[in-house]
Amino acid sequence: MPDLDAIKTEVRRLLADGVVEVVVAFKPGDTPLHPQPAFFHSPEEVDSLVHNGLCQNNLATFLTHLPKTKKVGMVVRGCENRSVNALIVEKQKSRENLYLLGVPCEGIIDWRKIVEHVGEAVLAVHENSDEVTVETREGQFNLSRNELLHASCLRCAHRNPISADILIGEPLPEGDPNLARVAVEEFESLTNEERYAWFQKEAERCIRCYACREACPMCYCTECFVDHIEPRWTESGATPAGMQGWHIVRAFHQTGRCTDCGACERACPMDIKMTYLTEKLNNDMRKKYAFEVGLDIQTQPPFATVTLDDKNRFSV
Amino acid sequence: MNLILEKHALPDLLQSWRGNYDVYLPQKMERFSHFMPLTDNSVLVTHEPHNTRISPKALFLPMTEALVKFTRFGGYEDAQQVIQPRIIFAIRPCDAQAVQLLDTSFIQEAYTDPLWLERREKTITVGLGCHEPCQTGFCTTVGYGPFNKADLDVLLTDMGDAYLVETLSKAGEDCFQGLPCASDEFVEQALIVQRNAHDQMPVAFETENLKEKLEQNFNSDYWETVSQSCLGCGVCTFLCPTCFCFDIVDETQRRERVRNWDTCMFRTYSLEASGHNPRPSKVERTRQRLSHKFVYWLDQVNQIGCTGCGRCVRYCPVGLDIRAMLRQAQTLPFEVSHAG
Ligand code: SF4
Ligand code: SF4
Ligand code: SF4
Ligand code: SF4
Ligand code: SF4
Repeated sequence: MPDLDAIKTEVRRLLADGVVEVVVAFKPGDTPLHPQPAFFHSPEEVDSLVHNGLCQNNLATFLTHLPKTKKVGMVVRGCENRSVNALIVEKQKSRENLYLLGVPCEGIIDWRKIVEHVGEAVLAVHENSDEVTVETREGQFNLSRNELLHASCLRCAHRNPISADILIGEPLPEGDPNLARVAVEEFESLTNEERYAWFQKEAERCIRCYACREACPMCYCTECFVDHIEPRWTESGATPAGMQGWHIVRAFHQTGRCTDCGACERACPMDIKMTYLTEKLNNDMRKKYAFEVGLDIQTQPPFATVTLDDKNRFSV
Repeated sequence: MNLILEKHALPDLLQSWRGNYDVYLPQKMERFSHFMPLTDNSVLVTHEPHNTRISPKALFLPMTEALVKFTRFGGYEDAQQVIQPRIIFAIRPCDAQAVQLLDTSFIQEAYTDPLWLERREKTITVGLGCHEPCQTGFCTTVGYGPFNKADLDVLLTDMGDAYLVETLSKAGEDCFQGLPCASDEFVEQALIVQRNAHDQMPVAFETENLKEKLEQNFNSDYWETVSQSCLGCGVCTFLCPTCFCFDIVDETQRRERVRNWDTCMFRTYSLEASGHNPRPSKVERTRQRLSHKFVYWLDQVNQIGCTGCGRCVRYCPVGLDIRAMLRQAQTLPFEVSHAG
């Protein structure tokens, strides 16, 4: 488990020495189930910093909320580091204005699974690499960490931040890259009709609250295609066509850009699965272009790349 | 009238209503409960430690509905929605209270929304009180409670094997006719359950002078502080039973004018055609959400526009908690205004 004191010491140093103006990390929420993203501006504020398995957001999403030239520190896990890299590639931030505190990651715990097991009256949560102990008014419950992890984290291949300025804690063994493929193959093995039924069942529960979009670091467009009035790319309402249009196009806009952090699914108030679509696209990127997003800060995603000697001349 | 309904008799009773009404009740959808129409195989879900994920306001103000259909050559006709008489079963008191609050907006002397009115007139609400109040809810703090009767035709109290059925209107009475009367002793026990539930709920924040503090600190840094981690999504307001904002859009391909839920937390909400946005960032948008509920509702109808249902607390993807935000607001400076 990450050494919280070491993280705090480093964050305090960054702020005290003026290395950065703000550090983005987490602080406790009103209940132990919901830690909150937080912005630390001075060393004194850092006492309240937390970093645990219930911190469910991808903090990289806040990078584009802050001015480009601001010197920002961020506590990053594996996927957050890769999302930050992807944003640098897309020129949303320059590496000089960033200081990344990397923390090897043991995966995000899905709070809804805790509530399913023990109810809402959670007083405290303690965790280690194998077990999560939840204290409630009714008593203490020991749950297996693996069973509580979010699906994206169960198949994660890059738990160690790959380009942090400092790594806090020892690197962990990396995940098995085949697991991502297995998840996609499950979906691919279905017939067309079954796939469509799956897609319909997920997409058509959508309430178009766009929490998935806002939680995603790569959805930073100031005008999203669904907000366009002229031309209108998809129906505006919660109709089957509108919901399907939103889900398909959102996923395709992530081709070669999604790190499969799963922040979209965790933000969704309707428990809608979305990563089966983005993971399919990620898998295609790996297979067809040997490309994986966020591994460096130069390589453009294949669909954003134009070269004069492109062998395909955009013919169909 | 106080009646007893044995739980094993409930499924038949629900089915018996189907002849005359569309019956809606909370049923399992994925990992949560959702108000859906009763079918032959419906299973009522009330064991969750809280209310349904989407509030039943959606049964009165659907997420999307057609208002007008365009015809050829520039004409149009009414969308002609068919609204059947219906019973909403196991609506929680906070959600029923919210519908009543929304009447003040949709049923006015100057303008009444015909669809809202028709749905209201054709609906019977059977409330289920919360004998085990939820952790995130705070109905007692905002002046209501887990057995609040506002806007209900019937209130049920879960007494283990049976419900105490309190009928509160003629329509409610008709739905439950033929049930045995509850003994005084049974009613007494139910009152204890109700009181206990009420007493279990802590005060989430003080409401005294809250309006003045929010108003007088309109330009305070407070808003920056409480909105920093907000994502600007629709979760808190779409799930909220008292939020009623909508947007009207012409879906030209469908030849329809539709109304969709909208929210002040979206960046496009107050964006003007010129490109100017009077609420340009999440600071102003968060201020609008909290002020609408705890200042403007009071200005308009002298009631707080939040029933304490707890949904925004439970599902905000970044853990922003309106209770904590308002506790913090209570520490802001303010002056007592002297009239005249
Ligand atoms: S996707 Fe990987 S790095 Fe990201 S939170 Fe999950 S386990 Fe950690
Ligand atoms: S978060 Fe869920 S409900 Fe909201 S727009 Fe995304 S998929 Fe739809
Ligand atoms: S649900 Fe949370 S993140 Fe979304 S708009 Fe509301 S306060 Fe902001
Ligand atoms: S503001 Fe929050 S607690 Fe209050 S009624 Fe709306 S969703 Fe419920
Ligand atoms: S809080 Fe916002 S979304 Fe809710 S009713 Fe008020 S203005 Fe509309």
